[in-house]
Amino acid sequence: MNLLEISDLTVQFGGLTAVNAVSLDIPSGNIVSVIGPNGAGKTTLFNAVTGIHEPTAGTIRFDGHETRRSFRATTALALALVGLVAALSLVLAVSIEPLWDAVITANYSYQQAFPWTKALGAGAAYFTDEPGRRFLFPFLIGGIIGLGGAFAIWARTRYAPEVAARAGIARTFQNIRLFNQMSALDNVLLGMDSRLQTRFWHAALRLPLFWSERHEAERRATEILRFVRLDTEAHQLAENLSYGHQRRLEIARAIALQPRLLLLDEPAAGMNPAEAQELMKLIHEIRDRGITVLLIEHHMPVVMGISDRIAVLDHGEKIAEGIPTEVRSNPRVIEAYLGKDEG
Amino acid sequence: MPAPRRVLFHWSFLLVAALIPLIELLIPGEHHIGDLLRPIFIMAMLGLGLNILTGFTGILNLGVAAFMAVGAYSYAILTCDIYPFRLGFWSATLLTVLVGLTVGLLLGLPTIRLRGDYLAIVTLAFGEIVEDVLKNLDSITKGTEGINPLPSPSIFGYQFRLETYQPWYYLFLGFLAVLVLLNRNLHRSRVGRAWISIREDELASSCMGINPMKMKLLAFALGAAQCSLAGALWASYLGSSGEPGNYDFQVSIIALCMVIVGGMGNIGGVLLGALVITGFNSIVLETLTGFLKAHQLISSSNVFTAPGNWKYMLYGLALILMMRFRPEGLLPSRQVKAELHPQEPHAPPPS
Repeated sequence: MNLLEISDLTVQFGGLTAVNAVSLDIPSGNIVSVIGPNGAGKTTLFNAVTGIHEPTAGTIRFDGHETRRSFRATTALALALVGLVAALSLVLAVSIEPLWDAVITANYSYQQAFPWTKALGAGAAYFTDEPGRRFLFPFLIGGIIGLGGAFAIWARTRYAPEVAARAGIARTFQNIRLFNQMSALDNVLLGMDSRLQTRFWHAALRLPLFWSERHEAERRATEILRFVRLDTEAHQLAENLSYGHQRRLEIARAIALQPRLLLLDEPAAGMNPAEAQELMKLIHEIRDRGITVLLIEHHMPVVMGISDRIAVLDHGEKIAEGIPTEVRSNPRVIEAYLGKDEG
Repeated sequence: MPAPRRVLFHWSFLLVAALIPLIELLIPGEHHIGDLLRPIFIMAMLGLGLNILTGFTGILNLGVAAFMAVGAYSYAILTCDIYPFRLGFWSATLLTVLVGLTVGLLLGLPTIRLRGDYLAIVTLAFGEIVEDVLKNLDSITKGTEGINPLPSPSIFGYQFRLETYQPWYYLFLGFLAVLVLLNRNLHRSRVGRAWISIREDELASSCMGINPMKMKLLAFALGAAQCSLAGALWASYLGSSGEPGNYDFQVSIIALCMVIVGGMGNIGGVLLGALVITGFNSIVLETLTGFLKAHQLISSSNVFTAPGNWKYMLYGLALILMMRFRPEGLLPSRQVKAELHPQEPHAPPPS
């Protein structure tokens, strides 16, 4: 059972092909590594999977569904609403002053009762006098601008990080991207936020659900911090943590999203062998929680030690895939890493 | 180790403010400190609205005065008896807040995807456009005259009068307290957390399932609603919508100064900023001018000697000094302070 199926994925930036027709299946419950020389397209692959880059071609299916916004009835409704609002706004903008004169000024005498029916009739008459110029034309133009603009924005944001995240794909970054001025606990809580049931009104008015859920969320966040062995640092600002701790906090934040797939972008970068050992243990424990792990790593002992499968990228193309022992002895991999034997 | 409990400035501020008229009653003689404090409450509400945008979410808005103008004019149109609506205080205020919310959404929807400086320019332009529209839409807004007179509000059967300031004082203070409570609740919830995470790192935030466009739009709508509430109360107090020039770029900049001087992203800081900036203008400078005039130290014929005419120079000086010596504001939020005064850089990974 494959959790993630990447088929013929191509990502181009202008004329540059960063990832070229890569296919990769990630079986559920595995730890899969992506390796390759610098500039091989590994991070671009991650960015495409997490919705940061839109694929130029090919599909990414997560748990059987494409990781992009689907067109639902509510989408159509929202687009129609924006179009309608834009259309009415333009109608008003074109004729607000004469309309006001016809409806309000003409019918209201100072401190007398206002004849609402007559006034509304005058408003309707204003538009029916010259329906084309006063109503239909601005309505159509406004509607086209509103609907077209809203649709263009929707279409351009079909691939968005939050869509992938909500589907259950969490990630960490090659250069740590924590919320530096938030405490470690708040970082983890933020990861959890999209899974909470509290809405704006619960938060604004502190309804009972807010309290019970906040209590529960803080308990779970503390549990996750304990899992990555950072519970003593819960109230430290993220930026005051040591480098190794920041790496672990980023993993904690990603786990808090309750993902089914976790993407780790060079988690062992800058770590010494002892820390790398500890990280391998942590990744195993994450897998044991039922989270499939896909990681980019340069640290070969880590890669060979924990991966169930390894995929090798070079110049945007997949050159090898298999279990660690196969990949290690593959001549194309050795060539990509060490260069061609000229002798 | 839990973070040390901070002194909650905003609650102390509201409590002290609630006591001032009572203390004035005990001291014999004519006072009007409480009277002078009313504009501070209004400006504090404006500052709180801006703080949601600039302090929490990190969206620079240079046109909040426009939202205030929208509020003041909506309230005026809905209550003034030269128009047929003639609503009471509560329904007019509620509708005004809804109008502000809608205007915030309408401005936000097409522009929210712009980044940083570009969005700031859009808000600046919006401020200018609103001012010009109000000036030129004569039959609706009465052009440069403004809409007046507005009836004094009557709340729960009590008729407000211009001569007694205490009811107004408590009305504004009450609204301010509600806004402080609302903003604090939002700040310390998933909504505030999402706003701050967008300010810190939008990409990381969206990779954690936060929809940045939605949260920014919410900030825009809420900020606009709060600013228009400030405008509605201001109009009810003046008994007039004021003229369009009352809501020009300077007001937006003063609101921004309050947020920066007080401490961005901190509710107590905004209140302190409003107290310092507006209080300096309407209390210190006025009193000083009155004192100097009474003792004939300045002549009224020479405008350069009146301290009130120096206020923008003094604001400028104060801002320069603040930026040099205390960039995080008088009462900074913990987060912004950490940003501007970084502690030791990370120790290299321990081996």
